[in-house]
Amino acid sequence: MIVSELLLPVFVVLATLAVGAYLVGVIDGAIGAALGAPRGQSAWLAPLTQGAWLLTQQANTTEAPDWRAWRLAPALYLALAATGLAVVPWSPTLIPTDLTTSVVLWGSVEALATVVIFLHGWSANTLLALIGAYRYVALGLSYILISMFVLIGVALPAESLQFSQVVASQAEMWNVIRQPLGLPLFLIVGLGMTFWGPFNLADSRDLAGGTASAVSGPPRLVWNLARAAMLVAFSGVAASAFLGGWLGPWLPGPLWMVIKMLVVLAVLLLIGRLVPRVQPERCVTLMWVVLLPLSFIDLIWAGMEALL
Amino acid sequence: MDYPLTVDIAFLLLAILAVVSGWRVFCTDSMVRASFFLLVSFIAVGVIMILLAAEYLGVAMFFMMAVEMMVMATFMVMFMMNPAGLNPMMMVHQHKFSIAAGVVIFVLLAGVALLAEFPTNPLPADLDPVTSLGNELLGDSMLIFESAGIVLLTTMIGVVVLSSHRGRYGGAHEGSMPPGLVPGGDPAGMPKEDEEEGGGHHHCH
Amino acid sequence: MAVSWLSRLAARARVPVFPALGMHGDTILHRLALTPGIELVDSPRHASILLVAGGVPPDLHEALRRLHDQLPAPFATLWYRSAPLSELAGDLRVDDPEALPEALKRLHRELMSGRRDSSPRLLPDEPPNPWEGLGDDGHGGEGMMGGVPYGRPMAMNMHDDIRDGLTLDSLTVTLGPFLPVLPPGLGAKVTLQGDLVQSWVTQLAPYPIALENVFHEALQRPVPIAELELARARHHLQRLAFSLRLSGLEHLALVALRLSRGLNVESRVGRLHRWLTRCGFFRLTAAGRGRLEAGQARRVGGIAARAAGLEEDLRSRDAAYRRLGFTPIVQRGGDTNARWRQTLAEIDHSLQLACRAEQEDLYSEMTEAVETPRGPWDDYRPEDASDILEDLLPGLEWDEALTTIASLDLAGVSEWPLEPLSETSLKDDEERQA
Repeated sequence: MIVSELLLPVFVVLATLAVGAYLVGVIDGAIGAALGAPRGQSAWLAPLTQGAWLLTQQANTTEAPDWRAWRLAPALYLALAATGLAVVPWSPTLIPTDLTTSVVLWGSVEALATVVIFLHGWSANTLLALIGAYRYVALGLSYILISMFVLIGVALPAESLQFSQVVASQAEMWNVIRQPLGLPLFLIVGLGMTFWGPFNLADSRDLAGGTASAVSGPPRLVWNLARAAMLVAFSGVAASAFLGGWLGPWLPGPLWMVIKMLVVLAVLLLIGRLVPRVQPERCVTLMWVVLLPLSFIDLIWAGMEALL
Repeated sequence: MDYPLTVDIAFLLLAILAVVSGWRVFCTDSMVRASFFLLVSFIAVGVIMILLAAEYLGVAMFFMMAVEMMVMATFMVMFMMNPAGLNPMMMVHQHKFSIAAGVVIFVLLAGVALLAEFPTNPLPADLDPVTSLGNELLGDSMLIFESAGIVLLTTMIGVVVLSSHRGRYGGAHEGSMPPGLVPGGDPAGMPKEDEEEGGGHHHCH
Repeated sequence: MAVSWLSRLAARARVPVFPALGMHGDTILHRLALTPGIELVDSPRHASILLVAGGVPPDLHEALRRLHDQLPAPFATLWYRSAPLSELAGDLRVDDPEALPEALKRLHRELMSGRRDSSPRLLPDEPPNPWEGLGDDGHGGEGMMGGVPYGRPMAMNMHDDIRDGLTLDSLTVTLGPFLPVLPPGLGAKVTLQGDLVQSWVTQLAPYPIALENVFHEALQRPVPIAELELARARHHLQRLAFSLRLSGLEHLALVALRLSRGLNVESRVGRLHRWLTRCGFFRLTAAGRGRLEAGQARRVGGIAARAAGLEEDLRSRDAAYRRLGFTPIVQRGGDTNARWRQTLAEIDHSLQLACRAEQEDLYSEMTEAVETPRGPWDDYRPEDASDILEDLLPGLEWDEALTTIASLDLAGVSEWPLEPLSETSLKDDEERQA
């Protein structure tokens, strides 16, 4: 009983985190090389060597940082990613935590991520990190409503707030077809919550690394790891909510999940490389004026369909 | 009752965390830290609610409080005269009054906890708390909850509008003027200047 | 055992290099950006090697010491065409651009294997002002107004926010002269509220930029127009690459840099322009901010002037250019967006002019003045115009301010021409390094 209820879920989550975060590094490197980055070592080795270098580098200090928050923030972000992964169902039976409100739990992971990223930038007590933190709050408060509406949309046909039920409700038709607006909106939310590519307002190049600009050594490794892990967790949730999770012919359920997660990851990483960073003001305007009404439409669409 | 010992241990630890972080709110010298200590306290309470089988309310507590504390921290930093986001400040005022109020409220709540008779009728095993909560929120009490929600939203928008310099017809410091009824005409709904001079202070239209 | 295994793996990582630029140091960066195994990082905290490229003026040595001490151990310093600080006299100095990548990689390997010690700290690690705060939480302070920790003025807002009245802490900070997102050498005292620039005072003008020798020669004797125009296009492509990297379009920045490395009369920028339009660069990133008034535009000159609608181009006075049918391109706008559209249009125009001029073997005819990529050079060289930032930037957000600065070429022109890098073709370079 202990094995099946405690050890197996923990092992599944940790293994997915580690392997997934490594694969994010590999895929991102491969996309970069395909787009013309100078060819150096193989993409398989690059994440490992960079991780090893960060482990040998010293963790630096700034003038009077808020130590507790500064050191805790990367670990908390990683913990949030693990929490998110814990509610992702791999098959009808293999679900690390089958909470009846797992969709809402994912919503709170998104909300708490905003807090943690803000703390990471604020606690360093340096200018560029602080700007990154403020910017992220503006972004985080904007995407969270979109995310809620989109997720309520997938909960409606399932008549449940449980991800396993959401997957089961897609047996006839995946939500990506049933609610065509849902997945594109949710992918934008994902880029926002992992501040990746066009929505990288927190750790961007114009802030010399933003909230991570004053971090070095192992804490930076944890932060990078956590960002990659959050992408993995997000892709798991997106695959369950829109791409039918474990459903699929011939192959076993968990394998279908892996394939679908990899597809979502590849799409996110490709967008991250191809689209420039959106100006913060444009970004917030876009979220509130364009994407939020679109998410209303998505919700009304989902509601009408559930009624019919 | 048939729940494992770990639930008791978890409850005790979470209760201690909630109380200690609630106490730290008043010891810190920064509004940002105070907000997030309060958040930690609420999260601990949320987990206790999950332990009490109020799954939806517990999880809802997480995201409600996360967003709320984030907004509160930012707004405090924006509206206070010393935005203690970075500089330290004294976070407690009116010591005597607040101590007295705290003691009175504690005694009242403790009295309720100790003296009240709580119902003991056990709930049916197949009761789904999420569904019954949904029926409660969107059933008979819908009007109350919805009107409270709208009032809160209007208040928030109102506060931002009142404190912002940006008015409907331009910046407030420039003396914002509504546009004319015809292109290039006099501002609509504004008395003419000569009327103002000749007619004294009170107009009756 | 485990440690040596870790450091062996770390030695194989891409070498994270933070460039601290001195005079004319930026040319080597265009080369390093295309070198495999080297990663140019934006923060000194993310670097293993501090590369000081180009001579650093003595008045910036104190800032350089502070920057040097910000790198986390273990790190090393490498001096490229630059004299090491007196305390670091024993450091490695490299003058040959060919040998630089290998020297950086060797330094990193030696650091990781422990054969080389980390560079020593130059300044005492203590706060610039003594502790004056109260309280026990590391920050101190009492009352509604807070304390004065470290003797610094409190972050109280004396001025209203210039945009919407929601005031965040106004923070006054000194930026530069080594901040890699600003033009090399530019230093400024900036007051920010959140990410909104409240005031900007340029304290250090950016280093004068070195132009290719052909522009200097054009003032003495007729030079081939093809050569002049290719040099102009190269300059603009390198500026574009900087801006693209800033906005997160690394791969297009590399495209622009490769184009500038192998530029010839057959090159075209149409594809780059199309990619930029499709990925939303003009709409999402270079949206219309940083609009120059006519007076400011005239003072900056060059592309900035023509992007603001001023039809000022010395080339239209040159008889040889007139024979090629040259008419200056102008845009309206005068903002960031217009400047980049103008830049791309001018690169394209220059390449077409170069192509036709080579066929007809045309030489410039006017030697009393030349239109440089930075603006008109007649009696005087184009001068530094970085003080216009003081009027231009307040009211912009950080991101908008930086894209505005990146779209403007504000530094004066150096008296010395650019030292030509040896002409190894790009392909050889990348293949050899790989």
